[in-house]
Amino acid sequence: MIFSFELAIFGSTISVLIIMFLLLYFYAQDYRKYLLEVNHEEILDRGQENAVLSNMKRELSFAAFFMDDSKSIGIRYIITSLLFFFIAGLAGIGMRISLWNPNPTFLTPIQYNVLLTEHGTLMLYGWATGSILGLGYYLLPSMLKIKKDKLGHLNSAMFWFYFIGGVLLIFSRSTASWYFYYPLTDQLTEAGGGTYSFAALAGVLLILTAANVASIVFLKMIFLDRDKSIRLSKLPLFAWSIVSTALLILSSAPVSMVADVMLIYDLINPIFFTGSNGTALGYAILFWFWGHPIVYVAVIPAFGLIYELLPKYANTKVYSYKSGVVGLLLLMILSGTVWGHHLFNSGLGTIWDLIFSTTSFLVAIPSAITVFNWIATLWTGKIRLTVPMLFILNAIVDFVIGGVTGVMQADVGINELIHGTYWVTAHFHFILLGMTTGMAFAAIYALFPTLSGGRRYNVAMAKAHFYLTALGTYVMTVPWALGGFQGMPRRVAGYFGIFQSYQDAAAIGGIILGIGQLVFLINLVYSSTKPISVSNENILESEVVYGE
Amino acid sequence: MNKRVQYELIWLIAVIAILALSALANYNYTVSSSKEIAQPYNGDPAGVVINVTGYQWGWQFQYPNGTITTDKLVLMANVTYTLIVTSKDVIHDLYIPQFGVQVYAVYDHTNEVSFTPLVPGTYIMECVEYCGEYHYEMRGEVVVL
Ligand code: HEM
Ligand code: HEM
Ligand SMILES: [Cu+2]
Ligand SMILES: [Cu+2]
Repeated sequence: MIFSFELAIFGSTISVLIIMFLLLYFYAQDYRKYLLEVNHEEILDRGQENAVLSNMKRELSFAAFFMDDSKSIGIRYIITSLLFFFIAGLAGIGMRISLWNPNPTFLTPIQYNVLLTEHGTLMLYGWATGSILGLGYYLLPSMLKIKKDKLGHLNSAMFWFYFIGGVLLIFSRSTASWYFYYPLTDQLTEAGGGTYSFAALAGVLLILTAANVASIVFLKMIFLDRDKSIRLSKLPLFAWSIVSTALLILSSAPVSMVADVMLIYDLINPIFFTGSNGTALGYAILFWFWGHPIVYVAVIPAFGLIYELLPKYANTKVYSYKSGVVGLLLLMILSGTVWGHHLFNSGLGTIWDLIFSTTSFLVAIPSAITVFNWIATLWTGKIRLTVPMLFILNAIVDFVIGGVTGVMQADVGINELIHGTYWVTAHFHFILLGMTTGMAFAAIYALFPTLSGGRRYNVAMAKAHFYLTALGTYVMTVPWALGGFQGMPRRVAGYFGIFQSYQDAAAIGGIILGIGQLVFLINLVYSSTKPISVSNENILESEVVYGE
Repeated sequence: MNKRVQYELIWLIAVIAILALSALANYNYTVSSSKEIAQPYNGDPAGVVINVTGYQWGWQFQYPNGTITTDKLVLMANVTYTLIVTSKDVIHDLYIPQFGVQVYAVYDHTNEVSFTPLVPGTYIMECVEYCGEYHYEMRGEVVVL
């Protein structure tokens, strides 16, 4: 073979990668042995070893990628979902800046649409779903003191499904948006749904498979493997929130997966959503049967985290344990019945419109039960404004705003005015940024001593992160809501000049948000290089006291 | 019943009352203005019929006298119109913000919506269901004479 420069570069890159892989592998084995030796219990088999490992206080480490106890799986998901969050966030800020002028500035329409699809899919499937699976795998084993942890291979394989799914979402350059509506998705052109749109569908399928399996594993941990000293009536509310989330995933995600497979099948032989017995709206209906529940999948675990953290920073107990559980479970049941509110103007007919808007009003009841429970808890406590507490308080406010805008747009008459506008985008960014993302940050800060193996984060930087994130959220979403109410359309690469002031204000908000996340990143790196200074106590494991 | 549960119930009843009122208002509107809400075409249009076709990427309007306009809808004030809407390809969504009119355009499926413009002037019209590369240019104006 003739020597070529490219070949040399390629070959050496591959060999460096292989060496790095092997080094990490052996490091991980060593690390695992070390962790097990620290623990002096007698250990018989690998399942028990894993159970011991997943009950330990564990720091974030890349060695987790070669270990398969539940806690390592959690660490893998946490690291990867953060990566997806930053990629999707960059896409979001890119879109925002490109919308500075009414005509597309630095993004061509196709590039804009690629970023739109990447942002939506990666944020929901990569970040929201991924971080929740991560926190579930990370927190549940030690919260419930599980005695068995035997599904390591399965959990590990499912993590790689999720990882590859995310990679496919990024590199497929799909422009079908996170709905993947038929027939757009099956137009395999740059101008339609993207040449490799089916790869993005495969990515979604892989991630949803992982989410389904993880849900079953969580239910198994909670109902079968937990330490029997924890009675069901004393189960932590975070565990209840995972029960609710897992059941919601299992009862609705498969519907959307079937629809995705039908879309892929229709590429070859169009029978499902077109022709004599199919309709394009059929896909939309199957999609929203999952499309609504996923937004609750993204918030219910955040509710659970608030229940766990709030009492600790308010020095009190949760006002009412019972209504906490009832609220979480009712949310799961009711949010399975409202999906039609995404299709009011599609021609469901007025009867269905009425049914879905009424069920949507009902969802507000368990949401209100939950919020009142928090407010009552705050009322009876003494509030300490630590960084996680700031995120929690902001999350509650943002959720209330998001919930009220949600109920408003569930009104058939109002929906005709704001469907398809930035009002809707504002509605869900309040919740997905303020609640889902905010509570993930709150958990990361609260767990920082554990996650970093006994280090403290820099409080000034963490506060800057909080204030920039909260401020950025408002500066971005309030103009969206105002513009949206006057008809500013969403998912556009350019717009009528009359909307420019709203778009520009929102762009500034997006930039503030970006700077905030940069501070977060710097803080993570800076603080993890500091010497060990505190105990690595996991505050989410200690006993929680609940009211009745 | 103890005090704590009582507090919870009071708040809950307040919320349910507000929601019930909203639901009632919603019911009233939906029933009394059902023609103004997008729904499958039932063969009994009110007023002047305009056939609308969405395609990648534009809107075509066909009036009763056979005239056709693209990306521009011309109406008379105080006349009731029914739009009968369908699509040539992917799903679109015709939206006239100032009139509160919104209706999906779906391939192989027709929807209808009725309305009566009152004030002469020029208004905007947009596609608000994402439909590919030039989705953002799928917009135009509504002129009321
Ligand atoms: C009080 C409860 C809520 C109600 C009544 C409600 C209602 C609605 C309605 C009616 C829509 C459709 C708007 C339209 O496109 O015309 C919508 C969209 C949306 N909601 Fe909510 N919502 C609620 C809570 C939430 C929560 C907790 C989240 C999540 C984190 C959420 C996330 C979303 C998202 C992501 C969309 C838009 C999906 C899309 O079109 O891309 N909502 N909501
Ligand atoms: C980092 C800050 C964020 C920025 C700057 C941002 C920006 C944006 C922008 C500009 C859009 C609108 C695109 C359009 O309609 O043309 C959008 C849509 C969206 N965002 Fe975000 N976003 C952020 C955070 C998040 C988070 C944390 C989530 C979810 C967990 C999220 C989920 C979504 C979804 C689901 C859509 C809808 C995509 C679609 O319409 O297909 N975003 N975001
Ligand atoms: Cu919904
Ligand atoms: Cu369109």
